[in-house]
Amino acid sequence: MRKSLVIARKELRDLSRDPVILALLGFLATASLLSLAVASNDMKIQIAEYNSYVSQLAMSGVTNPPPVVEFFPLQLMRGGVEYLEILGALFALLSGYGVIAKEKSRGTLDLILTRPLGAAAYASGKIIGLSVFWCVIVIALNLATVIELMVIGGAQLDALDVTKIALAAVFSWINLMIWATVGVAMTSYFGRPQTALVLSIALWLMIVLIIPQIGDTMDPDNQVPGGLFAALSIVKADELQVLAQFATYDTIRNGLEVSSVSKLFERITFALLGIKDKYNLQSIALIWADMWGYACALSSVLAVTISLSLSAHIRNTSPRRK
Amino acid sequence: MRTTLSVVAKTEITHALRERSSHLLVGIFSAMVVVSAAIGFQTHRTVTRIHESLVQHGLTVAANPFADVSPLYYARNSVIYVVMIGSLMAIVLGVESTLRDRRAGVVSLILSRPSAFTHVLRGKLMGIGLVLAAVLLLSMALSWTMLSAIVGSPLGLEETLRLGVFGMLSWVLLLGFAGVGMMFGTRSRHESTAYVAPFVAWSVIAFVLPQMGTAARPISLLNPVPTPAGGGSLASWLSYIVHPLSVTEQFKTVSGFLLQEPYVSGDVAGGVASVVVFALLMTVLSTRSRRKTITEELDA
Repeated sequence: MRKSLVIARKELRDLSRDPVILALLGFLATASLLSLAVASNDMKIQIAEYNSYVSQLAMSGVTNPPPVVEFFPLQLMRGGVEYLEILGALFALLSGYGVIAKEKSRGTLDLILTRPLGAAAYASGKIIGLSVFWCVIVIALNLATVIELMVIGGAQLDALDVTKIALAAVFSWINLMIWATVGVAMTSYFGRPQTALVLSIALWLMIVLIIPQIGDTMDPDNQVPGGLFAALSIVKADELQVLAQFATYDTIRNGLEVSSVSKLFERITFALLGIKDKYNLQSIALIWADMWGYACALSSVLAVTISLSLSAHIRNTSPRRK
Repeated sequence: MRTTLSVVAKTEITHALRERSSHLLVGIFSAMVVVSAAIGFQTHRTVTRIHESLVQHGLTVAANPFADVSPLYYARNSVIYVVMIGSLMAIVLGVESTLRDRRAGVVSLILSRPSAFTHVLRGKLMGIGLVLAAVLLLSMALSWTMLSAIVGSPLGLEETLRLGVFGMLSWVLLLGFAGVGMMFGTRSRHESTAYVAPFVAWSVIAFVLPQMGTAARPISLLNPVPTPAGGGSLASWLSYIVHPLSVTEQFKTVSGFLLQEPYVSGDVAGGVASVVVFALLMTVLSTRSRRKTITEELDA
């Protein structure tokens, strides 16, 4: 274990000094915080437009104003969550690729293995290093988001909001670690790091973008801007009643969506942050009752990718294979 | 010069045919373009049935918004696959074509020949352009066959022309992204940076720029329907600046118009100009390289 920690410390130092990784993280943080600023601005505009509309109604003598535009600060984090889902996953994949590719291309792997250090301890050290690195990044990103929510968004967060943000951060870390370990596994498995990189990106493309995109475009409600049922003025109860007749189609669509880890992450975080209206302002216990299956699935995928990355690395460094 | 161009282009095509990673991306792209027609058709059929059910239950009297859609509507997801898979495929081809020579250390040897390196780079771009044209031609032919099978008769002349023009516009966009890949392939000192930097550039163009001008969610940008500009002075101001730079959104607007997407809106001429200018700029930049950087040893 002590040897693993030495490797982990070295990986952390390397990652925190890597200009490419730092540039990528800077970009991710900028994009996330910018999306929050854009969403805050959009929300303020909506509130101003509502107030202006209400005052015009009052002047024209209408006494019952339309429903109030409500401000739910955690919902402003939607863009940031989606950036973590798409770009965060890509950058985590690249970080996993980098920790193995550098040893392969510099030829330092063989040198390190001449020391009294097992392949398992070496690989686990790299994974511990990556996990601490991404943990620090997720904490820093969420702290910056909370500060921006309060300063620019003008939000007043209570203990429940902070707990929900913290839980969402835990699942963000799990999602990022899945991709970092996929990067480690692929780069360890393939002899040529560049082949591993292209194949990893093809995998990321399929799981993060293509599968959720197919699921989204198969959704009948997504066919019209603003929603098909809203365009036809159908209330929710009637919508559900009609959709019940198309259960097989919806099962296939939903099955396609949940086969992507990105969608699992999205559903959990959207529920926690109240982005999905059904879970907005609900207790954590109620959200957990619906989301525990997705949470278990996401954690199981992480366990599988860690196992794969360890076994691929051990297999790749075994003297028999060489 | 003509000999250099054709020899290098031929070599580039040979390499692209041999590389398995390129095969994988080309395979995914072609398969998804074909699958998109099936997905589009199945979704349309379900929405029509839902509408019929709503009418039967007396819940609506509104006409089905998709009653008379063009057969090309079923291929609407192809637009997204060009932006997502096609662009990354083009970037990989561009990066690989330039890194291959640098990795093998043959750049100095090429430079010792009596032909400018600019011509070599132009030849590479020409080779990649031909590979992309072949892939798109195959994809559009498969798409045409699939759409004809769905509607039960060959597509008409107008639809065929529209599909053809969509293929040509896709080629222009992908050539621009291949140029982005080549640009980083010739300028980066590290092999990893050569791959990573163009992917980041792509993600800025595809996700960050459109979001700044529209306040749209990043994932909604994967929807084939282009996102209109957001409200308010800040959003309008940002939109004014970033919209012409959001090449993928511009491509979606023009493609939506070509594929007769019912809910598309926007400036088609401006969209075409944006995509063409992007491609021209990237092809020019990709064929200009500093001799010092390209002959330097490539780090991992």
